[in-house]
Amino acid sequence: MSKPIPLLEQIGKDGRVWADLCEEYGVDNPDPPWRITLESTCEVLNEGACVLPSLERRDEEDDIVEDHYKHIPHPERQLLALAHTMILRGVITEEDLAQHMKVIEARLNAV
Amino acid sequence: MSNSHDHDHRPPAPMVDEVSDFEVLEVAVRELCIEKGLFTQDDHNEWTEYMHTLGPLPASRLVAKAWLDEDYKQLCIDDPVKASLDVGIDWINTMPTKFGTPSDYCNPRILVDTPTLKHVVVCTLCSCYPRPILGQSPEWYRTPNYRRRLVRWPRQVLSEFGLQLPEDVEIRVADSNQKTRYVVMPTRPEGTEGWSEDQLAEIVTRDCLIGVAMPRVDRKADDKRPIHRAVHPFGH
Repeated sequence: MSKPIPLLEQIGKDGRVWADLCEEYGVDNPDPPWRITLESTCEVLNEGACVLPSLERRDEEDDIVEDHYKHIPHPERQLLALAHTMILRGVITEEDLAQHMKVIEARLNAV
Repeated sequence: MSNSHDHDHRPPAPMVDEVSDFEVLEVAVRELCIEKGLFTQDDHNEWTEYMHTLGPLPASRLVAKAWLDEDYKQLCIDDPVKASLDVGIDWINTMPTKFGTPSDYCNPRILVDTPTLKHVVVCTLCSCYPRPILGQSPEWYRTPNYRRRLVRWPRQVLSEFGLQLPEDVEIRVADSNQKTRYVVMPTRPEGTEGWSEDQLAEIVTRDCLIGVAMPRVDRKADDKRPIHRAVHPFGH
């Protein structure tokens, strides 16, 4: 079993999934707007220097989801699994990710 | 310049007016990858633009054309890459890599149903899917439950999708892989005699092209599917 990532566990616990947001705001788009950009990230990681081959990513996604995120819907769990894989592989660190998320959250919520 | 308009506007479509943790996480992962030089913003933009062009309409059109033209149907069977060109899909040259996509290599296959043979597609290994011609895979296609059970109990799984097949109809499950991607060409339903290609294309929905549904004259959209959790997850 892969080790848990506290930051991602917290997001999985507290984050609002797309289905809930759709219900609250009366939106019927089946996918969140970030689904395509997530898919693109997966594709470009699989291209060129091939940081993360697609088959490895999907295998790890199955395992990581089963271990940590099985109650979270797709594509939220695909995203968590990708971040989890990247941290376990040492490509990014949990601290870097937490710090960067704070910056982005402030940026996206700026008025 | 006047700001007034002399025409009516529809009320804006509702939108999610909230930044979720998941949205923030997606941006953070992407930007950190760019910061670390794993890919560039331009690389990412190119993929995103390409992804936005994908959907099931070209495959719907391909089936509708084949229903109306026996020669084209034969081309679909013999040379799906060439047949796809007629519906605007170039499996080889239009992806950002210019040689197919890393996860959609260029060996599409069209599986032709008959009244006594039903095809259905799965990827038991991961979630291989003919994205260039069918768009993004639905959530249920990626679940370990669908992937694991379809090959063992296809008739039962299809019935969960509402597709009840008579016992004398053989079900053939096609297992996709990184190189070979399958699209199902279902049988043309009764009641569509005299229909145009446009009319026919409308009833060939994504689920019909995967093989978990049959075209019906009164159905133009896929139903929302329940997600069954795997009792014994794939690979565990």
